Amino acid sequence: MRGALFAVALAWLAAPVLGDDLDLKSIVQEHIIDGYDDLAHHASWLALHAEANCDPTYPPLIAQFHLAFDQWVNVSHLRFGPSEVDDRAFALAFWPDPRSATPKALSALMRNQDESVLTPEAFKDVSVAARGFYALEHLLFDPAFAPKSAPDYHCALTRAISREILANAIALRDDWRESYGALLVTTENDTYRTSTEAARQLFTALSAGLEFTSQTRLGRPMGTFEHPRPNRAEARRSGRSLRHVILSLQATRDLAALISNENEQLDRAFKVAIERAIALDDPVFAGVATPQGRFEVEVLQQSIDAIRDILADEVGPSLGIAAGFNSMDGD
Amino acid sequence: MKILTLAKGALALGLGTAATAGGHADKAAVLDTYADIAEATYADSLVTAQQLQSAVEALLANPSAEALESAKSAWLAARVPYQQSEVFRFGNAIVDDWEGKVNAWPLDEGLIDYVDASYGGPTDENEAAVLNVIANASFTLSGQTVDASVITPALLEDTLQEADGVEANVATGYHAIEFLLWGQDLNGHGAGAGTRPWTDYALGATCTGGNCERRGDYLKAATDLLISDLEWMVSQWGPDGAARAEATADADAGLATILTGMGSLSYGETAGERMRLGVMLNDPEEEHSCFADNTHNDHFYNGLGIQSVYLGSYTRVDGTVVQGPSLSDLVASMDADLDAEMQDKLAAAVLALGRIKTAAEAGFSYDMMLERGNDAGEALIMGGVNGLIDQTRSIERVVAALGTSIEVEGSDSLDNPDAVFE
Repeated sequence: MRGALFAVALAWLAAPVLGDDLDLKSIVQEHIIDGYDDLAHHASWLALHAEANCDPTYPPLIAQFHLAFDQWVNVSHLRFGPSEVDDRAFALAFWPDPRSATPKALSALMRNQDESVLTPEAFKDVSVAARGFYALEHLLFDPAFAPKSAPDYHCALTRAISREILANAIALRDDWRESYGALLVTTENDTYRTSTEAARQLFTALSAGLEFTSQTRLGRPMGTFEHPRPNRAEARRSGRSLRHVILSLQATRDLAALISNENEQLDRAFKVAIERAIALDDPVFAGVATPQGRFEVEVLQQSIDAIRDILADEVGPSLGIAAGFNSMDGD
Repeated sequence: MKILTLAKGALALGLGTAATAGGHADKAAVLDTYADIAEATYADSLVTAQQLQSAVEALLANPSAEALESAKSAWLAARVPYQQSEVFRFGNAIVDDWEGKVNAWPLDEGLIDYVDASYGGPTDENEAAVLNVIANASFTLSGQTVDASVITPALLEDTLQEADGVEANVATGYHAIEFLLWGQDLNGHGAGAGTRPWTDYALGATCTGGNCERRGDYLKAATDLLISDLEWMVSQWGPDGAARAEATADADAGLATILTGMGSLSYGETAGERMRLGVMLNDPEEEHSCFADNTHNDHFYNGLGIQSVYLGSYTRVDGTVVQGPSLSDLVASMDADLDAEMQDKLAAAVLALGRIKTAAEAGFSYDMMLERGNDAGEALIMGGVNGLIDQTRSIERVVAALGTSIEVEGSDSLDNPDAVFE
C-alpha cells in the first residue's frame, strides 16, 4: 500500500494534472456497472416477453425490444475488457454490416431450418451476424423475414436470439461487477499498470464512441453528396437511427463529465449537439437524399466533431493522456 | 549498408560524449532506418511484381497450364514483401491515400469477370456487383455509358476502380489480379483455392469462360498498373522522395508515425477487420486472399513487418539485411523493461501468426479454420488476434513513454472541418 501511494505520488510530481486524479471508482460504478445492470434488467424482460409470445405483432415484445436496445446503445461505447471477451459485443450488436451479412445469415438459418437455434450452446457458434439486436430487428420489423412462411422456426429463432442477448448481458454485467471493475479501479495490475493507463482506456472509449457516432452512425447514411445512402442508416427498420445518436451522445456526455471534472466547455458542446439531434425531425435519416436534409445531418455531424476536437485538443492534454488505438483505426 | 553500420557506431560514441545532442540524433537516425526499410520493402515489392509481370506476359503469349501456375507462383512471391510493407500504411498519408489502388479488399469480383450463380446479383450496396467488364464492351455506370471496347490501365484506374462510389468495386491491384489468376474459390469451407482453368486465357476454339482475349487484356492492364503504382511508391521513399521527407522532417512526429502504423495495423486492421470478423461470421469470403487461399501468409507477413520496423531490421527478398538504429534502441535507452516487453509481445504475435501459417501449409487451410464449430481453427486464429491486441497495449505504452501521441488518418471531418461542405 505504501509502495502504491509512493508510486502515485511520483507520477503526480512528474506531471501535476494527470489522469491519476480521476475518480475511477465512480466512473466504474455509476457509468459502467449501472449501465450494464440496466442492460441485463431489460434484456431479461425481453427474453421473458419473447418466451411468452414471440409474435412480432405482440406490442409488449416490441416495446421491450426498444427498451433493451436503448440500454445497449447506452453502453455501446465501452468497447474494451468484458465486451471483447467471447465476442460478446459483436454478438449483441453486429453493425455496420456493409456486406449484408445479417440478412444473408438469417436467410440461411431459415432456409435450412438450422437446428442450432434449439440449444444455447449450439447457437453460440452461429455467425454473430445472425445474433443480437440487429438480427432480432430484422425478424421483428423486416417484412422479408415475416413469420408467415415458417412461423415455428421464426419463433424459435426470435427466442434463441433474445435468450442469447440476455446471456451476454449477464456475463458482461457479472464480469464488470466481480472482476474487471476492480482491475480498472485499483490498477497496478497487468491490464492497467497505472491509473494513467486506466484513464487512457476510458478516454479512448469516449473518443471512439463519438467517432463511431459521427463517422458511422451519421457518416454511413450520408455517403457522399452525389451518392447519399439512406438505406445504410443504423436500425432503420425499427425507426431507431436518430434515437441511437441521441442516446449515445447522452451516454458519452455523462462519461465526459466524469472524465473531465465537469469541463464546462465540453459539456456545452454536448448540449449543442444533443439539441441539434433532438431538433432534427428525421428519425431514419431519410432526408440525406435531399440537399437540405443532408445539410442538417452534416451540421449535426459537425457539432459532434466539435466535441471530439475539444476532447483531443483540450481535455486529453490537460489530463496528460491521449486516446489509444481503437477498432476504427483500420480502413 | 556499410554507411548504416558506421552511423550506428558514431551514434554510440556520440551518446557517451554529448547526451543531449545524442538524444536528438538518436531519433533522427531511427527515422532514417525506418525510411530505409520502407524503401527496401517497396523496392522488393516492385522487383517481385516485375517477375509477376514477366510470368503474365509469358502466359498471354503462350497460354498453358504451366504458364498459369508460374504466374500464380509469382503472385504468391510478390505478396511476401508487399504484406510486410503494410506497416507503413497508417500514419503516412502518402501511403494511405495510395494503398487502395494496389491492395483494396474485399471486392465484388463480378464487376470484373464471370462468377458462379451462387454469387447473386446486384445488391443494395452495389449495383455494379455483376457488371462483368470482361464480357461487356459497353455498359452503363452511374447513369453514364462507358466505352470499354479497349481495356486499358486508364479504364481500370479512372472509371472502374471504386465505381459508383462503392469500395467493393475493386478493379485494380493484387486482389483483382489474384481473382484473374485463381478465379472464385467455390469450395466454401472445404480445402482448395480457386480453380480457374488456364484455358480462360486460351485463344480460339479452346477458350473457356468467353472473351479470353479481353480477359488477357484485363490481366495485363492490371499487372502493368501495379508496376507503375509500385514504381511511384519506391520513388516516394528514395533519397528525395516526399514520403521519406515527411516521415523524417520532425523527430517526434516521425516516431508518432511509426507507432501509429504499428498499432493501427495490429489492432483495427489485421486483428479486427481481417481476422476476427471472419471468425465471428464464419465466412470464407472474409478471407483476405480468398481466391488464392493465401490468407495465412497475409497475416503472418503483416506481423513480421510490424516487428521489423520496431527492431530496425528488414531481411530483403535477396537475403541481404537493411538495419540501423531502431525504435527498440531508443526505447531501451529510456526504459529497458518496456523495450523487453515490446520485443516479447512482437515475437509472441509473430509466433502465433506463424502457427496459423504452418497449419495452413500442412493442409488445414484458412477457410477451413473459419467454419462454424471448428474450435481448433478458431483457437488458431484467435491466438493471432490476441497476440496482435496484446502487442497494441505495449505499443500504447511506448507511445506514452516517448511522450508522443498517435495520429490516425481517415477522419476528414475531424482534420478539416470544411471538408464536409466541399
